[in-house]
Amino acid sequence: MPDPVSLAALVAALALVLYALFGGADFGGGIWTALAFGPRAREQREALFNAIGPVWETNHVWLIFVVVTLFTAFPAGFAALFIALMTPLVVALVGINFRGAAYAFRHYGRASGREVPFSARVFEIASVLTPFALGMAVSATAAGSITIENDVVSTGTGIWFNPFTVMGGVIGLCICAYLAPVYMTVRVKGALQEDFRNASIAAGVALGVVTAVMIPLALQTAPEFSHRLLGSWPMLCVILAVLAGVTTQLLLLLRRFRLAQVMTGVTVVLTLAGFAAALHPDLIIQELPLRAAAAPRSTLIAYLTVLPVGAAVLVPSLWFLYWTFRGEPAPELPPAGKEP
Amino acid sequence: MDNLLAARALMGVSFVFHIIYATMGIGLPLLLMLAEGLALKTGDESWHRIARRWVLPAGVVFAIGAVSGTILSFELGLLWPRFMAFSGAMIGLAFSMEGFAFFTEAIFLSLYFYGERRLSRRALFLCTIPLTLAASISAIFVISANGWMNTPSGFQMVNGSPSDVLPLRAFANEAWPHEALHGTLAAYVATSFAIAGYYAAMVLKGRGAVEAKKALSLSLSVAAVTAPLMLVTGDWAADSVAKFQKAKLAAMEAHFKTSAAAPLVIGGWPDPDTGRVRYAVRIPKLLSILAHDDPNAVVQGLDAFPQGTTPDPRLVHPFFDLMVGSFFVMGIGLGWFWWLRWRQKEVPDQPRLLKYLMFASPFGIIALESGWLVTEFGRQPWVVQGYLRTSQSVTPNGGVVSVFITFVVVYLCLTAGMLKLLLRHQGRHGGEGKEVEHA
Repeated sequence: MPDPVSLAALVAALALVLYALFGGADFGGGIWTALAFGPRAREQREALFNAIGPVWETNHVWLIFVVVTLFTAFPAGFAALFIALMTPLVVALVGINFRGAAYAFRHYGRASGREVPFSARVFEIASVLTPFALGMAVSATAAGSITIENDVVSTGTGIWFNPFTVMGGVIGLCICAYLAPVYMTVRVKGALQEDFRNASIAAGVALGVVTAVMIPLALQTAPEFSHRLLGSWPMLCVILAVLAGVTTQLLLLLRRFRLAQVMTGVTVVLTLAGFAAALHPDLIIQELPLRAAAAPRSTLIAYLTVLPVGAAVLVPSLWFLYWTFRGEPAPELPPAGKEP
Repeated sequence: MDNLLAARALMGVSFVFHIIYATMGIGLPLLLMLAEGLALKTGDESWHRIARRWVLPAGVVFAIGAVSGTILSFELGLLWPRFMAFSGAMIGLAFSMEGFAFFTEAIFLSLYFYGERRLSRRALFLCTIPLTLAASISAIFVISANGWMNTPSGFQMVNGSPSDVLPLRAFANEAWPHEALHGTLAAYVATSFAIAGYYAAMVLKGRGAVEAKKALSLSLSVAAVTAPLMLVTGDWAADSVAKFQKAKLAAMEAHFKTSAAAPLVIGGWPDPDTGRVRYAVRIPKLLSILAHDDPNAVVQGLDAFPQGTTPDPRLVHPFFDLMVGSFFVMGIGLGWFWWLRWRQKEVPDQPRLLKYLMFASPFGIIALESGWLVTEFGRQPWVVQGYLRTSQSVTPNGGVVSVFITFVVVYLCLTAGMLKLLLRHQGRHGGEGKEVEHA
């Protein structure tokens, strides 16, 4: 049997990737609601709103899954991370709450026949704030400014104004803004599809630019991380991510939307895989190795045993959910009290 | 306010808030399942209409339940990192299993809520089955973590840190079975009473009375099945607490001095300085009977434990009485309703009964919240009974007070927003029946 620590780390990374893919698209929907453009801005908002409706709650369970995996399999690491990352995590948490509530209120308000502009604003602001804060939190683990001495966790001064972590936040935003419109191109038709295609191409360029800028920035501000990133395996992920990103742009230009959707996912997965590979074998770079952060073997094995059982229930249910709500997004809820 | 107090206050507020929504999230699916099932079985479409009318308000309740649950999972790390570093390996399994159940719940909830135009009626009903099961199973799993804090097991202390961890043994700790059953059933009772109060008001106003009466019967049927089980599981819980958490029992019962043939103390205000309970009613020997099934048994009081290791009875005893008292408030309503229902052979609509049911409506939630406060305050000053004190597990970060204030504002905003929406909706549509047609 392979090493349970590595397997558990793989599960945590996978959960984070799934949260980025599903939750990220969800935040992206909010970002593009704020950035809706042109003569069909209203239609764009409607389509995004209706697409998010049935799946947003499920998308956000991935975050809980990440948190639970961390504290079950890496309790010491969880404690250290949550001490060090308190600031961005509190911001993200406030964002997640207001976003969820604003969405639900808006949905409810709309179904009962009223527009709720205040809720809509809150939803948009929270959709920008949250991925930014989460991006900062994730990149801070690689910045090299968290130190642990004699079990005392401290963060270097100015860690949240460090260009590396700020840029990490921007990358978080760009990933979300990139995923949502590409997913939407598959689900709508006509002029709206063209709008989302243009949004996708713009977001793709933005993600390419910020990740490219990140590399020289990392060389200066996070030397250990960039050293590892430009090593063997992480570098391969970086090269493949660039290739996948370029391919996605080409597919979008050629209007091959289904393939483009898959390649967008691949691009994001490879970008995050590069990050995780560079962080490996640490949870907090140079300070906390995964092995030191891990739970006892018996817990890891129990956790890894529960996993396939849970997956056997979860995977078909998830598939059924996304399969049911495929195709053109529609207002799925009839107005309150109206007979179907 | 220091860091510890701020962290405890924030955790407490977060739980009190989350428990309301989580409770509805467990109870409502059962009612939806029964209503949809009845619609299919009897062909009576009004059952389906009753269920679907809950979709919008329930959607808001579930959404807030999910986000407030996310707050809690983060707060475990943000406020109590040392507790998590100590216990993660033992209680993680419970949370992981709960995670899957919660995931399943979220999926089938979305399918049921949003699937009306995409799924058949039978499929909609079938979605409510995994929804109901997953909701209760997630409660049963997650309560194991709380049970472990009360009766920690499945590890050995070696040099001040836990080792030889047996995760399954930790999962199946002594307090888990009774806490899980008592807590999950309480969610059914609380939800059915909350709903019953709503429909009692509808019947009283004469709005859509035919359907409202059906819904009232359904919710009070659920309560009639689950409430008596509360008594059984409550007795079991008391036995187990008497065995494994003796200090908690002493605080619950305001039992200061170890004594044989101990009386049951009802009400009153415990005074730790004098070791007396003022203004209380005492029933001779009953505590000994309840705790050890023997009228002359010795029951350990708070004095049997070293100073500084026992909970404050002023925070535990009143909530215990409130929990038990709430149960009787509901029991009277339940007995009254079903007595008249049996006598009259139809759903009773006497205004006095309906008003009483409206009055009793929040007592399920009150009982649940106070029961939870009993179990938490009753474990202090420990977060892991006998091993780790609450004060040892708080975050070393300063500034918890500002986090506390931030989240109190968040909760106030969420509550205000929700009340505004629900009340406006009520005002506009009367919440019922035919007048809710839209253009």
